[in-house]
Amino acid sequence: MGYFGELFVMAMTAIFIQNFVLSRFLGLCPYLGVSKKLDSAMGMGMAVIFVMTLASAFTFLINVYLLLPYGLSYLQTIAFILTIAALVQFVEMVIQKNAPALYKSLGVYLPLITTNCAVLGVAIINTQAFRSDGVTPYNFLDSTLNGFFSGVGFTFVLLAMAGIRQRLEKVELPKAMRGMPIALILAGTMALAFYGFMGFNI
Amino acid sequence: MNFIKELTKGIIKENPIFVIVLGMCPTLAVSTSVQNALGMGLAATFVLICSNIMISLIKNITPPSIRIPIYVVVIAAFVSIVDMVMSAYIPALHKSLGIFIPLIVVNCIILGRAEAFANRNTVIMSIADAIGMGLGFTLSLSVVATIREILGAGTWLGIKVTPQTYDPMLMAILAPGAFITLGFLMALINMLKEKK
Amino acid sequence: MKYYIKLSLILLAFCVVASGILAYVNGLTAPVIAARKAQTEIDTRQALIPGAEFTEAQTADGAQYFIAYDPATQDTLGYTFISAETGYSSTVKTMVGMDKDFKVLAIKVLDHAETPGLGANCTSESFTGQFSGLTVDQLKVDKDGGAVVSLSGATITSRCIANSIRTRITAVQSDINAGGAE
Repeated sequence: MGYFGELFVMAMTAIFIQNFVLSRFLGLCPYLGVSKKLDSAMGMGMAVIFVMTLASAFTFLINVYLLLPYGLSYLQTIAFILTIAALVQFVEMVIQKNAPALYKSLGVYLPLITTNCAVLGVAIINTQAFRSDGVTPYNFLDSTLNGFFSGVGFTFVLLAMAGIRQRLEKVELPKAMRGMPIALILAGTMALAFYGFMGFNI
Repeated sequence: MNFIKELTKGIIKENPIFVIVLGMCPTLAVSTSVQNALGMGLAATFVLICSNIMISLIKNITPPSIRIPIYVVVIAAFVSIVDMVMSAYIPALHKSLGIFIPLIVVNCIILGRAEAFANRNTVIMSIADAIGMGLGFTLSLSVVATIREILGAGTWLGIKVTPQTYDPMLMAILAPGAFITLGFLMALINMLKEKK
Repeated sequence: MKYYIKLSLILLAFCVVASGILAYVNGLTAPVIAARKAQTEIDTRQALIPGAEFTEAQTADGAQYFIAYDPATQDTLGYTFISAETGYSSTVKTMVGMDKDFKVLAIKVLDHAETPGLGANCTSESFTGQFSGLTVDQLKVDKDGGAVVSLSGATITSRCIANSIRTRITAVQSDINAGGAE
């Protein structure tokens, strides 16, 4: 299939066919929490892409060069989550220094990227994933790129959601529906739309 | 504060899923069947109880500045134990819950309770809090799962409960059904809260 | 500086204790997990070709398969192997038993994480049963001109199973014909 073909399959899968939020149910807390305004959603999305890509890279290295050779796979959860926590701490410091406005608008949601299921999720998925032949496991580049594409998929639906919710602010909704319920039903409708991608034979 | 009050607050008043809105990822993913919901709920409750106990025990020796990483290590350790034990002794459940077992470590409920409660209360109270929250989580998960399993597969805990003529609504156990079910449930609860 | 070192050491201490406990639990559970997996495979092999004894062999590309022989007469009864391929949302592992003429005797889907209600029905008897008696050329889904009727709404899963079996049979077949068995 050629490497670019593989990458295309990976990107299509991560963004559309098995979208992280709408299919795999990963990254929901920020998805439902931060998606009210378009610009904070954008900032969050960028931060998540960055963390997911780096996290995929680092956790792959740790898994392949430390955990697997020494038979320490049972330490995977601890090792991965500590790596991610350290990474988020680092990203936080960088953003605080270079983009203080973004830092303020993201607020508490930035350190919460550590507990974002999507980041730990993609790290674990990378260790279990195979290429389309069903036999070759992901290598370093595959894992990192998968992290990147998954982050893009997350940001994509995050922005779509934010755009819709911003307009929904102006609509008169029944009181019980406001906030979380309508966000969930919106997500469900989007998930339904994304289901059209199922069965995409690439 | 007494034991019973801490125990019951997690079930309704401060229900983690419907009130505090934490732990969304497993709620939507694992509620495809009541069996999965119960399995996940109990696993998470076990981790919650153990980590609350541990964190309450060590609350005096953890330096505040690195408390979050320490909590994370403690929780991750218990999650890994649950993962291994499940894989060895309940393989079928381990397989259906899949990636969401290690993801218990980032279940906001557990870290949230550690930070908000266990690190400033006694061990006994922390146990009560953990049992309450865990029970609330498990019950809420089961409610969502009940709806989804009956609508989407016509069964409850694997036992057929719908008449022969009912053609299961597959969408209920797939992704969109998850979101929409939870959305309507939350709207319902909002309505009930208003009535009070 | 000394303060940071002290903090790091405390964190390290926690990690070491945690790792130690996990190593202990791993020591207890890992053998159980491995034993159960091996037993499932043995049981499935026995179910596919009843009454046989098995010896291990390897194809040219390093994949494992088993030769089933009759313990009384030492005749080859057939072969079993595990084929795996990426389905819709997971890798589907199927164990196949075939007779000595490389016709499928029976299959069993061992492992998958396909969509519930759609691809997940691949484990049902109504789907796996149709593989019995098929030859290599018939091992394609009906859409590709073969004899395998796909699951409704799960062409991808059905296709991946059929293809993975066909590929493996071809590999084992060429290995046996080349005299690779023993």
